[in-house]
Amino acid sequence: MKQTAFVPALLFLLAGIGAAAAQTMSYAEAISQVTTMCRNDIARFCKGVPLGPRLRACFDANQARMSPQCQQTTRTVFASITRRATAQRDIGDICSADILRLCGTSFADASLVECMSGLAPQAMSPRCYQTFLDTGWATERTRP
Amino acid sequence: MKPTMKLAHALAAAALIAATAATATLAQQGINASQMTNSLAAVSRSGKLSLTGAQLRQAVLDNIRNYPGAVPSHPLSFPELEGLTQIVVEVDFDFNSDVIKPSSYRTVGAIADALHHPLLLGYGFLVIGHTDAVGGRAYNVGLSQRRAEAIRAALIDPFGVNPAVLEAVGMGEEQLRDPKHPTAAINRRVQLVNVGKKFCFGRSGEQFVCP
Repeated sequence: MKQTAFVPALLFLLAGIGAAAAQTMSYAEAISQVTTMCRNDIARFCKGVPLGPRLRACFDANQARMSPQCQQTTRTVFASITRRATAQRDIGDICSADILRLCGTSFADASLVECMSGLAPQAMSPRCYQTFLDTGWATERTRP
Repeated sequence: MKPTMKLAHALAAAALIAATAATATLAQQGINASQMTNSLAAVSRSGKLSLTGAQLRQAVLDNIRNYPGAVPSHPLSFPELEGLTQIVVEVDFDFNSDVIKPSSYRTVGAIADALHHPLLLGYGFLVIGHTDAVGGRAYNVGLSQRRAEAIRAALIDPFGVNPAVLEAVGMGEEQLRDPKHPTAAINRRVQLVNVGKKFCFGRSGEQFVCP
Protein backbone atom coordinates (compact mmCIF):
# COMPACT_ATOMS: atom_id res chain seq x y z
CA MET A 1 0.00 0.00 0.00
CA LYS A 2 2.71 2.37 1.03
CA GLN A 3 4.78 1.36 -1.93
CA THR A 4 2.06 2.01 -4.52
CA ALA A 5 1.70 5.55 -3.30
CA PHE A 6 5.42 6.08 -3.25
CA VAL A 7 6.23 4.87 -6.75
CA PRO A 8 3.98 7.25 -8.69
CA ALA A 9 5.17 10.12 -6.53
CA LEU A 10 8.77 9.27 -7.33
CA LEU A 11 8.05 8.91 -11.03
CA PHE A 12 6.32 12.25 -11.02
CA LEU A 13 9.30 13.82 -9.33
CA LEU A 14 11.77 12.28 -11.75
CA ALA A 15 9.67 13.29 -14.74
CA GLY A 16 9.67 16.83 -13.43
CA ILE A 17 13.43 16.90 -13.05
CA GLY A 18 13.93 15.39 -16.48
CA ALA A 19 11.73 17.97 -18.13
CA ALA A 20 13.44 20.82 -16.34
CA ALA A 21 16.88 19.66 -17.44
CA ALA A 22 15.90 18.98 -21.02
CA GLN A 23 13.90 22.03 -21.97
CA THR A 24 14.01 25.76 -21.79
CA MET A 25 10.92 27.89 -21.75
CA SER A 26 9.43 29.79 -24.68
CA TYR A 27 8.82 33.51 -24.29
CA ALA A 28 5.08 32.84 -24.53
CA GLU A 29 5.26 30.38 -21.64
CA ALA A 30 7.63 32.60 -19.65
CA ILE A 31 5.42 35.68 -19.76
CA SER A 32 2.33 33.58 -18.98
CA GLN A 33 3.93 32.13 -15.88
CA VAL A 34 5.10 35.50 -14.63
CA THR A 35 1.74 37.19 -15.17
CA THR A 36 -0.08 34.31 -13.50
CA MET A 37 2.18 33.80 -10.50
CA CYS A 38 2.87 37.52 -9.99
CA ARG A 39 -0.64 38.80 -10.63
CA ASN A 40 -1.02 40.34 -7.17
CA ASP A 41 2.51 41.70 -7.13
CA ILE A 42 2.00 43.39 -10.49
CA ALA A 43 -1.25 44.92 -9.24
CA ARG A 44 0.57 46.18 -6.15
CA PHE A 45 3.94 47.34 -7.45
CA CYS A 46 3.61 47.74 -11.22
CA LYS A 47 0.01 48.72 -11.77
CA GLY A 48 -0.52 50.18 -15.23
CA VAL A 49 3.11 49.67 -16.23
CA PRO A 50 3.10 48.55 -19.87
CA LEU A 51 4.71 45.35 -21.06
CA GLY A 52 8.15 46.32 -22.28
CA PRO A 53 11.31 47.79 -20.80
CA ARG A 54 9.37 49.64 -18.11
CA LEU A 55 7.73 46.49 -16.78
CA ARG A 56 11.09 44.74 -16.63
CA ALA A 57 12.54 47.76 -14.81
CA CYS A 58 9.63 47.72 -12.37
CA PHE A 59 10.29 44.07 -11.62
CA ASP A 60 13.97 44.78 -11.08
CA ALA A 61 13.21 47.68 -8.74
CA ASN A 62 10.65 45.81 -6.63
CA GLN A 63 11.97 42.27 -6.76
CA ALA A 64 12.90 42.13 -3.06
CA ARG A 65 9.42 43.23 -1.97
CA MET A 66 7.51 40.80 -4.14
CA SER A 67 5.89 37.62 -2.84
CA PRO A 68 8.09 34.53 -2.49
CA GLN A 69 6.04 32.70 -5.14
CA CYS A 70 6.55 35.56 -7.60
CA GLN A 71 10.27 35.84 -6.81
CA GLN A 72 10.72 32.12 -7.28
CA THR A 73 8.84 32.14 -10.60
CA THR A 74 10.70 35.17 -11.87
CA ARG A 75 14.05 33.57 -11.04
CA THR A 76 13.17 30.29 -12.75
CA VAL A 77 11.71 31.97 -15.79
CA PHE A 78 14.60 34.38 -16.14
CA ALA A 79 17.18 31.60 -15.85
CA SER A 80 15.32 29.55 -18.45
CA ILE A 81 14.88 32.24 -21.09
CA THR A 82 18.46 33.41 -20.54
CA ARG A 83 19.65 29.87 -21.16
CA ARG A 84 17.52 29.69 -24.31
CA ALA A 85 18.71 33.06 -25.63
CA THR A 86 22.33 32.14 -24.95
CA ALA A 87 21.93 28.80 -26.73
CA GLN A 88 20.32 30.50 -29.73
CA ARG A 89 23.18 32.98 -29.84
CA ASP A 90 25.99 30.46 -29.40
CA ILE A 91 24.77 27.39 -31.24
CA GLY A 92 26.56 28.43 -34.41
CA ASP A 93 29.90 28.38 -32.59
CA ILE A 94 29.27 25.35 -30.42
CA CYS A 95 27.81 23.17 -33.16
CA SER A 96 29.61 24.43 -36.25
CA ALA A 97 31.70 21.26 -36.67
CA ASP A 98 28.73 18.96 -36.05
CA ILE A 99 26.45 20.95 -38.32
CA LEU A 100 28.93 20.89 -41.16
CA ARG A 101 29.77 17.21 -40.72
CA LEU A 102 26.27 15.86 -40.11
CA CYS A 103 24.02 18.25 -41.96
CA GLY A 104 26.32 19.62 -44.62
CA THR A 105 24.94 23.06 -43.97
CA SER A 106 25.81 26.20 -42.09
CA PHE A 107 24.10 28.21 -39.40
CA ALA A 108 20.62 29.67 -40.00
CA ASP A 109 19.95 27.51 -43.00
CA ALA A 110 16.25 26.73 -43.23
CA SER A 111 16.93 22.99 -43.20
CA LEU A 112 19.21 23.12 -40.16
CA VAL A 113 16.54 22.49 -37.54
CA GLU A 114 14.99 19.67 -39.55
CA CYS A 115 18.37 18.03 -39.95
CA MET A 116 19.42 18.38 -36.32
CA SER A 117 16.04 17.20 -35.04
CA GLY A 118 16.43 14.03 -37.09
CA LEU A 119 19.83 13.16 -35.65
CA ALA A 120 20.40 10.70 -32.84
CA PRO A 121 21.53 12.59 -29.73
CA GLN A 122 24.77 10.64 -29.57
CA ALA A 123 25.66 11.65 -33.13
CA MET A 124 26.41 15.18 -31.92
CA SER A 125 28.89 16.25 -29.28
CA PRO A 126 27.14 16.36 -25.88
CA ARG A 127 27.62 20.10 -25.63
CA CYS A 128 26.15 20.68 -29.07
CA TYR A 129 23.20 18.42 -28.28
CA GLN A 130 22.47 20.21 -25.02
CA THR A 131 22.75 23.60 -26.74
CA PHE A 132 20.37 22.47 -29.47
CA LEU A 133 17.85 21.34 -26.84
CA ASP A 134 18.26 24.66 -25.05
CA THR A 135 17.44 26.67 -28.17
CA GLY A 136 13.89 25.32 -28.02
CA TRP A 137 13.96 24.90 -31.79
CA ALA A 138 13.55 21.14 -31.64
CA THR A 139 10.35 21.26 -29.60
CA GLU A 140 8.97 24.10 -31.67
CA ARG A 141 10.05 22.44 -34.84
CA THR A 142 8.09 23.43 -37.87
CA ARG A 143 6.39 20.78 -39.88
CA PRO A 144 5.61 21.18 -43.55
CA MET B 1 -2.32 30.03 -55.67
CA LYS B 2 -0.25 32.50 -53.76
CA PRO B 3 -2.93 34.88 -52.50
CA THR B 4 -5.34 32.13 -51.40
CA MET B 5 -2.61 30.29 -49.58
CA LYS B 6 -1.46 33.42 -47.84
CA LEU B 7 -4.98 34.36 -46.93
CA ALA B 8 -5.61 30.89 -45.55
CA HIS B 9 -2.52 31.20 -43.40
CA ALA B 10 -3.45 34.64 -42.23
CA LEU B 11 -6.99 33.66 -41.45
CA ALA B 12 -5.95 30.53 -39.64
CA ALA B 13 -3.63 32.53 -37.46
CA ALA B 14 -6.20 35.25 -36.95
CA ALA B 15 -8.92 32.76 -36.05
CA LEU B 16 -6.57 30.99 -33.70
CA ILE B 17 -5.69 34.15 -31.91
CA ALA B 18 -9.09 35.78 -32.04
CA ALA B 19 -10.33 32.80 -30.05
CA THR B 20 -8.34 34.01 -27.07
CA ALA B 21 -10.44 37.09 -26.64
CA ALA B 22 -13.54 35.04 -25.87
CA THR B 23 -12.17 32.07 -23.99
CA ALA B 24 -9.49 32.18 -21.36
CA THR B 25 -6.39 30.12 -20.74
CA LEU B 26 -7.09 27.07 -22.83
CA ALA B 27 -7.56 28.96 -26.03
CA GLN B 28 -4.52 31.06 -25.27
CA GLN B 29 -2.38 27.99 -25.11
CA GLY B 30 -3.53 27.34 -28.66
CA ILE B 31 -1.45 30.29 -29.77
CA ASN B 32 1.35 28.53 -31.35
CA ALA B 33 4.69 30.02 -32.20
CA SER B 34 5.48 27.33 -34.76
CA GLN B 35 2.31 28.09 -36.69
CA MET B 36 3.37 31.71 -36.79
CA THR B 37 6.85 30.69 -37.82
CA ASN B 38 5.52 28.51 -40.61
CA SER B 39 3.21 31.19 -41.91
CA LEU B 40 5.85 33.88 -41.80
CA ALA B 41 8.58 31.73 -43.27
CA ALA B 42 6.80 31.21 -46.56
CA VAL B 43 9.18 33.89 -47.68
CA SER B 44 10.76 31.98 -50.52
CA ARG B 45 7.52 32.74 -52.35
CA SER B 46 7.68 36.31 -51.24
CA GLY B 47 9.86 39.27 -52.01
CA LYS B 48 11.47 42.30 -50.61
CA LEU B 49 9.48 45.43 -49.90
CA SER B 50 10.77 48.54 -51.65
CA LEU B 51 8.38 50.84 -49.76
CA THR B 52 9.79 52.26 -46.55
CA GLY B 53 7.87 52.66 -43.32
CA ALA B 54 8.04 56.41 -43.79
CA GLN B 55 6.44 56.11 -47.23
CA LEU B 56 3.64 53.98 -45.83
CA ARG B 57 3.01 56.49 -43.04
CA GLN B 58 2.96 59.32 -45.58
CA ALA B 59 0.49 57.45 -47.79
CA VAL B 60 -1.82 57.02 -44.80
CA LEU B 61 -1.77 60.76 -44.09
CA ASP B 62 -2.24 61.56 -47.80
CA ASN B 63 -5.29 59.31 -47.88
CA ILE B 64 -6.93 61.33 -45.14
CA ARG B 65 -6.07 64.62 -46.81
CA ASN B 66 -7.13 63.54 -50.31
CA TYR B 67 -10.32 61.79 -49.26
CA PRO B 68 -11.58 63.61 -46.20
CA GLY B 69 -14.68 62.46 -44.36
CA ALA B 70 -15.78 60.73 -41.19
CA VAL B 71 -14.87 57.31 -42.57
CA PRO B 72 -12.45 56.51 -45.39
CA SER B 73 -14.30 56.69 -48.72
CA HIS B 74 -11.25 55.42 -50.55
CA PRO B 75 -9.64 52.38 -48.96
CA LEU B 76 -5.91 52.57 -48.93
CA SER B 77 -4.21 49.79 -50.81
CA PHE B 78 -0.61 48.67 -51.14
CA PRO B 79 -0.52 45.81 -53.66
CA GLU B 80 3.19 45.31 -53.10
CA LEU B 81 2.69 44.95 -49.37
CA GLU B 82 -0.31 42.68 -49.76
CA GLY B 83 1.79 40.32 -51.86
CA LEU B 84 4.19 39.65 -49.01
CA THR B 85 4.12 36.85 -46.48
CA GLN B 86 2.25 37.92 -43.39
CA ILE B 87 0.00 37.01 -40.52
CA VAL B 88 -2.72 38.92 -38.77
CA VAL B 89 -2.91 38.72 -35.00
CA GLU B 90 -5.20 40.16 -32.43
CA VAL B 91 -3.51 42.03 -29.63
CA ASP B 92 -5.86 43.65 -27.14
CA PHE B 93 -5.19 47.12 -25.77
CA ASP B 94 -6.84 49.17 -23.08
CA PHE B 95 -9.48 51.47 -24.55
CA ASN B 96 -7.98 54.50 -26.27
CA SER B 97 -4.55 53.50 -25.02
CA ASP B 98 -1.34 51.93 -26.21
CA VAL B 99 -1.10 49.70 -23.12
CA ILE B 100 -1.26 46.03 -24.12
CA LYS B 101 -3.74 44.05 -22.04
CA PRO B 102 -2.16 41.29 -19.92
CA SER B 103 -4.43 38.79 -21.69
CA SER B 104 -2.40 39.46 -24.85
CA TYR B 105 1.07 39.14 -23.31
CA ARG B 106 1.23 35.53 -24.35
CA THR B 107 0.48 36.45 -27.97
CA VAL B 108 3.33 38.96 -28.00
CA GLY B 109 5.59 36.31 -26.45
CA ALA B 110 4.59 33.85 -29.16
CA ILE B 111 5.43 36.40 -31.86
CA ALA B 112 8.85 36.76 -30.23
CA ASP B 113 9.31 32.98 -30.21
CA ALA B 114 8.53 32.88 -33.93
CA LEU B 115 10.95 35.72 -34.68
CA HIS B 116 13.73 33.90 -32.78
CA HIS B 117 13.36 30.83 -34.98
CA PRO B 118 16.23 30.28 -37.44
CA LEU B 119 13.75 30.23 -40.32
CA LEU B 120 12.97 33.87 -39.61
CA LEU B 121 16.27 35.07 -38.26
CA GLY B 122 17.60 38.04 -40.17
CA TYR B 123 14.28 38.88 -41.84
CA GLY B 124 12.76 42.32 -41.49
CA PHE B 125 9.20 42.79 -40.25
CA LEU B 126 6.65 45.53 -40.36
CA VAL B 127 4.40 45.68 -37.32
CA ILE B 128 1.30 47.40 -38.68
CA GLY B 129 -1.44 48.54 -36.34
CA HIS B 130 -5.06 49.01 -37.41
CA THR B 131 -7.98 50.48 -35.49
CA ASP B 132 -11.71 50.36 -36.06
CA ALA B 133 -13.58 53.51 -37.14
CA VAL B 134 -14.48 54.76 -33.67
CA GLY B 135 -12.79 58.13 -33.24
CA GLY B 136 -11.27 60.58 -35.69
CA ARG B 137 -9.20 59.26 -38.56
CA ALA B 138 -6.07 61.27 -37.83
CA TYR B 139 -6.34 60.40 -34.15
CA ASN B 140 -6.60 56.72 -35.04
CA VAL B 141 -3.46 56.91 -37.15
CA GLY B 142 -1.60 58.19 -34.09
CA LEU B 143 -3.20 55.61 -31.79
CA SER B 144 -2.38 52.69 -34.08
CA GLN B 145 1.16 53.99 -34.52
CA ARG B 146 1.65 54.11 -30.74
CA ARG B 147 0.16 50.64 -30.40
CA ALA B 148 2.40 49.20 -33.09
CA GLU B 149 5.35 50.82 -31.34
CA ALA B 150 4.28 49.35 -28.01
CA ILE B 151 4.35 45.87 -29.54
CA ARG B 152 7.71 46.57 -31.14
CA ALA B 153 9.11 47.79 -27.81
CA ALA B 154 7.91 44.67 -25.97
CA LEU B 155 9.34 42.39 -28.65
CA ILE B 156 12.71 44.08 -28.17
CA ASP B 157 12.66 44.22 -24.36
CA PRO B 158 11.94 41.88 -22.59
CA PHE B 159 11.66 39.46 -25.52
CA GLY B 160 15.07 40.07 -27.06
CA VAL B 161 14.16 40.58 -30.74
CA ASN B 162 16.75 42.52 -32.74
CA PRO B 163 15.47 46.15 -32.99
CA ALA B 164 16.99 46.51 -36.45
CA VAL B 165 14.51 44.03 -37.95
CA LEU B 166 11.34 45.67 -36.63
CA GLU B 167 9.53 48.74 -37.90
CA ALA B 168 6.20 50.00 -36.56
CA VAL B 169 3.54 51.58 -38.79
CA GLY B 170 0.10 52.80 -37.78
CA MET B 171 -2.61 52.76 -40.44
CA GLY B 172 -5.48 53.91 -38.28
CA GLU B 173 -8.82 53.08 -39.84
CA GLU B 174 -7.60 53.59 -43.42
CA GLN B 175 -7.68 49.85 -44.16
CA LEU B 176 -10.83 48.57 -42.51
CA ARG B 177 -11.09 44.86 -42.84
CA ASP B 178 -14.86 44.97 -42.73
CA PRO B 179 -15.86 48.36 -44.20
CA LYS B 180 -19.56 47.46 -43.91
CA HIS B 181 -19.14 47.21 -40.15
CA PRO B 182 -16.57 49.90 -39.44
CA THR B 183 -16.73 49.52 -35.67
CA ALA B 184 -16.50 45.70 -35.66
CA ALA B 185 -13.75 44.10 -33.59
CA ILE B 186 -12.32 42.37 -36.66
CA ASN B 187 -11.01 45.75 -37.81
CA ARG B 188 -8.77 46.08 -34.76
CA ARG B 189 -5.73 44.02 -35.57
CA VAL B 190 -2.02 43.84 -35.98
CA GLN B 191 -0.42 42.79 -39.22
CA LEU B 192 3.02 41.26 -39.11
CA VAL B 193 4.59 41.42 -42.56
CA ASN B 194 7.80 39.73 -43.59
CA VAL B 195 9.57 42.34 -45.73
CA GLY B 196 12.53 40.21 -46.74
CA LYS B 197 16.00 39.31 -45.62
CA LYS B 198 17.93 42.10 -43.91
CA PHE B 199 20.79 40.25 -42.28
CA CYS B 200 22.74 37.22 -43.29
CA PHE B 201 24.68 34.86 -41.05
CA GLY B 202 28.09 33.35 -41.37
CA ARG B 203 29.05 29.81 -40.54
CA SER B 204 29.38 30.59 -36.84
CA GLY B 205 26.25 32.64 -36.64
CA GLU B 206 27.92 36.02 -37.06
CA GLN B 207 25.58 38.59 -38.49
CA PHE B 208 26.21 40.90 -41.43
CA VAL B 209 24.13 42.95 -43.84
CA CYS B 210 23.21 40.70 -46.75
CA PRO B 211 25.17 41.48 -49.90
